[in-house]
Amino acid sequence: MRRARRGDREAAALLFRRYWRDAWRAAFAITGRHSLADDVAADGFERAFAALGRFDERRPFGPWLHRIVANRALDLLRAERRLSDEELPDTPDSAPSHAAGDRSLLGAVADLSLERRVVVVLRYGVGMTPKQVAEALDLPVGTVNSRLARALEQLRETMEVEHVE
Amino acid sequence: MSSELERRLEGMLADAPEPDPGAGEEALHRALRVLRPVAAPRRGMRAAALVFAGAVVLLVIAAGSLAAAGALHVSIGAKSKPPPPAPELRLPKGANGVAAIVNGQLSVATRGGRTQLPASAAALSPRALYVAVGSGDSLVAIAPDGRRAWSHPAGGKVVAIAWAPDGFRIAYVVHAGRRFVLHVIYGNGVNDTPIDRSVRAVRPSWRADSLSFAYVGGGGRAVVYDVGHESRRVVAVHPPVTAVAFAPSGDALALEGPTGVSLVNSSAHRHINSTSVEALGWLKGRLAVAVPGLNSALIRVFAPDGAPRGSSRADGIVKAITPELVVVQRGRTLVAGHTTLLTVPRSATVRDLQIG
Repeated sequence: MRRARRGDREAAALLFRRYWRDAWRAAFAITGRHSLADDVAADGFERAFAALGRFDERRPFGPWLHRIVANRALDLLRAERRLSDEELPDTPDSAPSHAAGDRSLLGAVADLSLERRVVVVLRYGVGMTPKQVAEALDLPVGTVNSRLARALEQLRETMEVEHVE
Repeated sequence: MSSELERRLEGMLADAPEPDPGAGEEALHRALRVLRPVAAPRRGMRAAALVFAGAVVLLVIAAGSLAAAGALHVSIGAKSKPPPPAPELRLPKGANGVAAIVNGQLSVATRGGRTQLPASAAALSPRALYVAVGSGDSLVAIAPDGRRAWSHPAGGKVVAIAWAPDGFRIAYVVHAGRRFVLHVIYGNGVNDTPIDRSVRAVRPSWRADSLSFAYVGGGGRAVVYDVGHESRRVVAVHPPVTAVAFAPSGDALALEGPTGVSLVNSSAHRHINSTSVEALGWLKGRLAVAVPGLNSALIRVFAPDGAPRGSSRADGIVKAITPELVVVQRGRTLVAGHTTLLTVPRSATVRDLQIG
């Protein structure tokens, strides 16, 4: 990290390769689209590298990067909604390597509202604590917890209905 | 159930699809491009800073002693200069938004809010939901409440912006090195594509169907770029062209040149002679050309096929012709119809004035 902050391109490339996959997956889980995930993750890294000078290297890079990626995804999706005045096609493109159960769970996550989806992705996909999610999204921890609880409730109901059908 | 669900969620997201390798390489290239070294503080500099700080402390102590003795009046810190008064921008009746850059300061007023910031260029999105702004070396989309929707490193100062009528693309001109470069980017801030690496710093104009736009290329030639086919066509008018304006419907294109205005569409080409043009635009579907006079401007109106449709006078200097209103500067006020948009200093530079 220190070398990357000093402009060492090799060190920065190593940092990129270490976090790219996770950042892209987080972007994909939030946006539900391959092409958007490419843009969001790339933009997240661009912003993170441009702001490395302000990054406190005593803190872990991953949560900071995911915070940037999540907020970028949110901004992008909200901007698209405002421009189109329509709901986005939230269904993930595809996930052929998933087991059948996980694929339906991924679909259920995609059906969550954007606000609930992003906390689920950051909490479970990225592995942040509710406090970290709250910091990343600039929300009170209570709001994060309540969104998580409602999201889980909605997912549970969805999965139960699918199971019955 | 929740804990079982949570366990599955963790597994499912960890098992999400893999990113394409090509996307990773491109992203790495982009990220490395913005990497800037952060200089580590040097020992010598640190020592010098300590010596300087010590000297300042001694000086303050000495000044304090003298002040206590009545021998010196101490005033620490210059009085901060108040910021220049922000222009009061008013939204004309029926409009979604209005924007103007006055002396480098952008003011935006929309139904959703108002905001101000330094800007080098600006363009309202359709229905004024956002404003695209040249800010530093970036192109930035800002919501009316001042929130940044996205920011894109432009690689130079953005000097002209045009948002497509359908909102999906933005054409913009960047001052990069010694050249002006034309780019197109999606309305959500992604897929930036350089279109022409040598253009003039003139605001592009989108055709009504958003499938193509006109710009002024190298040598002052007017060019129409087809976004779908990624092809360009040079318009046969004498250079240098100094302004381009597509009609709000159809394909008529007005071009301002050294001898007047040319009106070009698929079937006709008409030239309107005028030694001087103050402003050019489409007003209620007709071409309006403002010709400067002593105390007033003559606004000549033409149908899209170039047929004259009369003229009128406007007291003052015509600063912009927008789809529904002509904006005139009278003394220090900018007026659009019956609305005083804002008051500006007499010598103020007003640019990118738009009413959407």
